[in-house]
Amino acid sequence: MKGRRLLVGLCCPVICTFVAASSFAQTDFDKANKEYAQGHFKEAIADYGTLVRSGQWSANLFYDLGNAYFRAGDFGRAILNYERSLALERHHPEAAANLQIARDEARALEMQQSWPERYLQFASVHQYSIVAAVAFWVGAFCTVALIFARRRSARLIALSILSFSVYALAIFATYEIDHGNKGRALAIITDDNVQARLATADTANSILALPPGSEIKMLNTRGDWVYAELPNNLRGWIPAKSTGLVRLSK
Amino acid sequence: MSMHSSRIGLVLIALIAGLGANTAFTASPSVTAVLGNSEAVVGQTVQMEIKVTGANNADLPAEISVDGLEIHETGTSRQFEMHNLTTNSSTVYIYTILPLKPGTFTIPPQMIRVGSSSLRTPALKLNVSDSPNRSTRSNQTAQPASPNQLVFAELIVPKKSAFVGEIVPAEIRLGFDPRAHPKLIDGPEVSGQGFTAQKLQQGGENLETINGRTYDLVTFKTAIAAARSGKFDLGPVKAKAQVLTPRGPGTRRSRSPFDLFNLDDPFSDPFFSDPFGQLGERREVEINSDPVAFEVKPLPPNAPASFSGAIGNFTMTTEAKPKSVLVGDPITVTSTISGRGNFDRVNAPALEDDHGWHKYPPSSKFKQDDEVGISGTKTFEMVLSPNEKKQSIPLLAFSYFDPVKERYMTLHSDPIAITVQGGAAPGPSIAAQPSSPTPATMSAVPAKPQDILYQLTERGRMQSFMPLYARPIFWTSQLIPLLILLGFAGWKMRQARIGNREARRIAALQHEAAELMRKLRRNDVSPREYYAEASRVVRVKAALARNTDPNAIDAETAADTFGLNGDSRERLKRLFEQSDELQYSGTHNGSERISPETRHDVLELLDDLRV
Repeated sequence: MKGRRLLVGLCCPVICTFVAASSFAQTDFDKANKEYAQGHFKEAIADYGTLVRSGQWSANLFYDLGNAYFRAGDFGRAILNYERSLALERHHPEAAANLQIARDEARALEMQQSWPERYLQFASVHQYSIVAAVAFWVGAFCTVALIFARRRSARLIALSILSFSVYALAIFATYEIDHGNKGRALAIITDDNVQARLATADTANSILALPPGSEIKMLNTRGDWVYAELPNNLRGWIPAKSTGLVRLSK
Repeated sequence: MSMHSSRIGLVLIALIAGLGANTAFTASPSVTAVLGNSEAVVGQTVQMEIKVTGANNADLPAEISVDGLEIHETGTSRQFEMHNLTTNSSTVYIYTILPLKPGTFTIPPQMIRVGSSSLRTPALKLNVSDSPNRSTRSNQTAQPASPNQLVFAELIVPKKSAFVGEIVPAEIRLGFDPRAHPKLIDGPEVSGQGFTAQKLQQGGENLETINGRTYDLVTFKTAIAAARSGKFDLGPVKAKAQVLTPRGPGTRRSRSPFDLFNLDDPFSDPFFSDPFGQLGERREVEINSDPVAFEVKPLPPNAPASFSGAIGNFTMTTEAKPKSVLVGDPITVTSTISGRGNFDRVNAPALEDDHGWHKYPPSSKFKQDDEVGISGTKTFEMVLSPNEKKQSIPLLAFSYFDPVKERYMTLHSDPIAITVQGGAAPGPSIAAQPSSPTPATMSAVPAKPQDILYQLTERGRMQSFMPLYARPIFWTSQLIPLLILLGFAGWKMRQARIGNREARRIAALQHEAAELMRKLRRNDVSPREYYAEASRVVRVKAALARNTDPNAIDAETAADTFGLNGDSRERLKRLFEQSDELQYSGTHNGSERISPETRHDVLELLDDLRV
């Protein structure tokens, strides 16, 4: 009886805090939507930005923020937020449609994906991770059963080989997608008139002019400059302030 | 062995086939023409090279007629180049030009027939001055500083003054006395400040007689560009070489009979006539040339907007493909800038009016016509896309500074007519330009054909960008299958251990039964022992059959186990009774033996005990 009271006493504040935070977040979100509906795009961007900074990320939040940037004429940041929305939810039809429109507007350049990356994209990193884990454990159980079995069963051997093959393939797929051109290092050019340069200086020779919303793959960061792979398969230095990483980390 | 050689054969065949295929698919014939020097003085010969690539036979004129110049073909040479298994052959036709009078001469384009097609060389300009002192070279032969020098260096710069950034060709000549068996170990390099020199390219090697002595002359070509204005010295050229020198003066022998004029030639030493008679000495020597005074002038002010630092003499051609497009479709505009100058500063021509066009960044490709990259052709490909109906491609402008005329020049492309069909392209939306300056501009912006989708009012569930495998929950959840696996492995191990114990027990009982049976067949056992062991065999066999303890087996149980009936059951019971009787009554002790009949009966009974 005493234990139950203690449990209720501990759980109640946690649940209340969570519910209160969610309702406040929803309120802020509604407020931002209202600003957007009234055409106050800058205010809407500020409100959505507050939610993003608080770490309460959702695909719809980034989608709405992308719309606000689009309306404000900032195609680079609009594309960045649509990409973020799609990074959280691969099949977000509204974000995919608006991203295409924004790209057409900005004439943004896209990174080319390698062929394994293209073919392995039918599943997400999450799905490949789960497949890898399941295949690994099935293979492990089969191996243990084989070790202790008096007679080696051909079916068991085949199943363990199949499981470990699936595991290896899933690991490869996870690596390819996560480290590929559209993986965790994917970033978007957010400013206008950005040039990729040969060296970390504004006077260095230009390699490629990048329209806002263009995709790059960040390779290294040095001070205020980012060394990145460019859509034309070259590499160059870009001012860090003009880029935004798609996949945020807390 | 035969397989190995057949594999090698296959590889060779594949290589030859690949080579043949690549040779067959070399690029279409092309021609370039370049002057060895664009500056000359009257009487000083200049070489012109016409290089025909990708064709075996070409018809070239033996003489080219230009008023004031004598131009004759003086030789040909063939070159084969191989890049990534692709072979290219080219023929270089060498013409020698002798300027007869001062002035600026244009060698007109020459039509060259290659097979059924005709190629055209670019026009070349040659400036001829009448002053023999215009060049830093006092004469056309290199001069050693002292007649006794084994090695010498000379820096030849055809101009004494240039503009900042202007590319000036330079030649370095190193002279070696061949008898010194020279070996260049370092350099040459042009030292000095205020200019940049391109990588040296070895031009050629020939023997030349200077002041009655033969020198092996090695020529290097480079190009120099001044980084700032002012007067400074180019060079000296520095190099290091190893030469074979005669012995010191203390061991000097009599003078060579060939040194008739007492020239104090170090090679008059007999060592050089008999190298095996007395060993010489290999020595490192530094080679230094005289510096060349050079004046650099700043570029004049008021450069055109499209000037990007290009200095030289250039021509431009432009073409566009396709010429009939829809609004928004890409058109590739190719601009070719040919000539002589600093191609590293030649940027893509600028659009004079890009209104209604979307411009993509251009790509560039440079093909040099000489060793140092002063002459060549730079091709720019720019993709333009019309946002509205247009009649022609916007004019392109390319500006450069002509150091001969000493003024900025701007080249314009010819108008290229195109046909653009369809409505307006998706331009920037009205929403995208909330602060458009004037209503007139607003009305000029074409209507946006597609708008973004609606705002979503549901925030949706909270998510993270962190991949699943990097989340702690993923790894924590792996503890569940891990624990199940450990439990499974433990259970399997226990099963195996239990199985082993039972197997050992069964083996021990089987062993015991076999041992007892062997003992019972022997004749040296007392009746008491014999019956006791016989009953034990029955118990062990029954225990093995029932998988129980042998001590828990009695005669009835054993009979039931083996399914004995009638006589066999009775005989088994008697066996057990006899065993007990002999065990506990104390009779039949001593030296009595079991009769063979009895033993036979007992053994028969025991052998018949089968489940």
